[in-house]
Amino acid sequence: MRIYEYETKELLSEAGIAIPRSGLAHSPGEAAETASSLGFPVVLKAQTLVKARGKAGLIQFAESPKQAEELAASLLGREHHGETIKTLLVEEKLDLAGELYLGIAVDYTAGVPVVLAGRAGGIEVEETAGAGLMRKFHVTPSLGLKPEQAGEVALFLAGDEANSNAELVKQLREVILTLYRLFVERDMEMLELNPLALVPQRGVIAVDGAAVLDGDALWRQPDLVRPRNQTEAEFEQEKDHRNRGWSYLQLDGDIGILSSGAGITMAILDLMRMQGGRPANFLDTAQMDRKGIYDAFQLFKGDAAIKTVLVNIFAGLNRCDHLAEGIKDFLQEFHPDFNLVVRMAGNREEEGKRILEEIGVTPIRELEGAVEKAIEVTEGRA
Amino acid sequence: VSILAFRDTNVLIQGITGRAARHHTENMLAFGTNIVAGTRPGAGGQIVSGVPVYDSVEDACRNHQIDASILFIPAKGVKDSAIEVLNAGIELLVIVTEHVPLHDAMILMEKKREHDAVIIGPNTPGMISPPEKTILGFVPTRYFTPGPMGVASRSGTLTYELVSRLTAAGLGQSTCIGVGGDRLVGLRFADALLRFEKDEQTRAVLLVGEIGGTMEEEAAEVVKNGQITKPVIAYLAGHTAPDGIKLGHAGAIIDGGRGAMKTKIQALIDAGVQVARQPAEAIEMAKQAVG
Repeated sequence: MRIYEYETKELLSEAGIAIPRSGLAHSPGEAAETASSLGFPVVLKAQTLVKARGKAGLIQFAESPKQAEELAASLLGREHHGETIKTLLVEEKLDLAGELYLGIAVDYTAGVPVVLAGRAGGIEVEETAGAGLMRKFHVTPSLGLKPEQAGEVALFLAGDEANSNAELVKQLREVILTLYRLFVERDMEMLELNPLALVPQRGVIAVDGAAVLDGDALWRQPDLVRPRNQTEAEFEQEKDHRNRGWSYLQLDGDIGILSSGAGITMAILDLMRMQGGRPANFLDTAQMDRKGIYDAFQLFKGDAAIKTVLVNIFAGLNRCDHLAEGIKDFLQEFHPDFNLVVRMAGNREEEGKRILEEIGVTPIRELEGAVEKAIEVTEGRA
Repeated sequence: VSILAFRDTNVLIQGITGRAARHHTENMLAFGTNIVAGTRPGAGGQIVSGVPVYDSVEDACRNHQIDASILFIPAKGVKDSAIEVLNAGIELLVIVTEHVPLHDAMILMEKKREHDAVIIGPNTPGMISPPEKTILGFVPTRYFTPGPMGVASRSGTLTYELVSRLTAAGLGQSTCIGVGGDRLVGLRFADALLRFEKDEQTRAVLLVGEIGGTMEEEAAEVVKNGQITKPVIAYLAGHTAPDGIKLGHAGAIIDGGRGAMKTKIQALIDAGVQVARQPAEAIEMAKQAVG
């Protein structure tokens, strides 16, 4: 789960890593006010869950309250990768004497955290990896980052100044240890400072920060579970989906898909797209029983974009007849407008088929056949 | 034969008194799995489906020779339960549980390496060896039959779909392993391939992959460097999915350009793995491979 830059910085600051002086703004007026209290020049940074903001012009500099207000007006409400910008982080603009990169992420092959230290921070940091400007430090999970290892990272980052500037090395070492502690304590998948800047007279400051939390550990981080770029209603809906064991993603097509298992559902999307069909969603429901399938149908009810719903049932651990009853329950109660195509195979297939045929639905046994049929009826060819 | 588990593998069920665990224990016993004990703190002395229950793994090990354990344990308790098993010297763990926190999983994998044990999962339906009449987990046994195909998969439901087609085409299986749907899992595709290579009965391997992660690329590596000589077929789900937009650079630096569907397919093809675009194509390739 991604969090905003300002949330990351709150965590950094609480942990003792220096960040620029700043405030949040949700309106142009507020931006001007915050900027004035900080003193000019300031940086206005749109808060988005997807980054790549610099290239999109979502980071702007203001020299006066009027300019801050105008820039805020142009940023707020803009769209960035499907997100509407609602919050700006207004920060003092710092004079940077140097930009470093410091990140922690997981090497999934080795199964350990890796500290990445780069002598050249910035947006093209991947490209410095090959030039000897980036080093990786693997960490033993149970031991954590050892002080001497943090010292090594600090020496590398300090580069030419390693010998002459003991204070810098000490500060870097502290930041690295703190960052690692935060990464573990907050159950993060990724935590990154880019740049970690050297500011004359002020020391080492995290000018930008990004973090991804582990969605499977949110129960250990209840204070970080909150709406992000969504209404209260959307937030509640997402929570409800999670509680029901649904993994749901809206797409822009007209064929709704009700299936269980992420792998097979992705395979259905592939088959559909390869034949020119347009899926309306990705739904993976863990709850494949009579009530579960009835409940899942509610997602498609009243959605005008949906012309057809394709249900995929491959009953290995569950039973076709139970699932057929769930489909029947829904159809008889709601009489939906969409076409319905059911792929059904597995345990109690004959019994399931009989139940569906009683209500005028003929299930299809082969997955590819069902996908084809769903596309045909959507296009009005059948 | 099989890889990893055999007809004489003695199996422990952790959390055996839970509803799902009871149900799956009965199915495993019916298929032929040699379940010798279960655990559940406070339930020592009970009998579940004829299997004696102990308070701890240590208790169970005092009374039985145990070779493998299956964890039917809620996500919050997986780390401690798995460490209990590893400390008892058991060398094969199947963790079916979903949503195990990443930092817990990292600690587990470190302990696993220390003990030189094998962890299948987390987030897996487990493994089945039809010729050995052994299942560790809960794959629907009716679709499986003994034969020459080794199967390793990141997805449960997609495995059932493909294996039922293999079986219908007359291609039985030596062992099928669900390696787990999480990004951090114990046994990976490359490990499974190396084990299938050594297994006499396995004549070809089907890998069922997905978008994301680097397991497919690692598999391609062991094929390319000659460690795998048997035919390998791969079917990957998600090749029409848009690539996700990453936050930050750290993941990209570690993965070094791997992970996208295009790079996976290219790496596999370069290594001589046959890559199927559709399930039906994968079955055809498997037929050709075992002739």
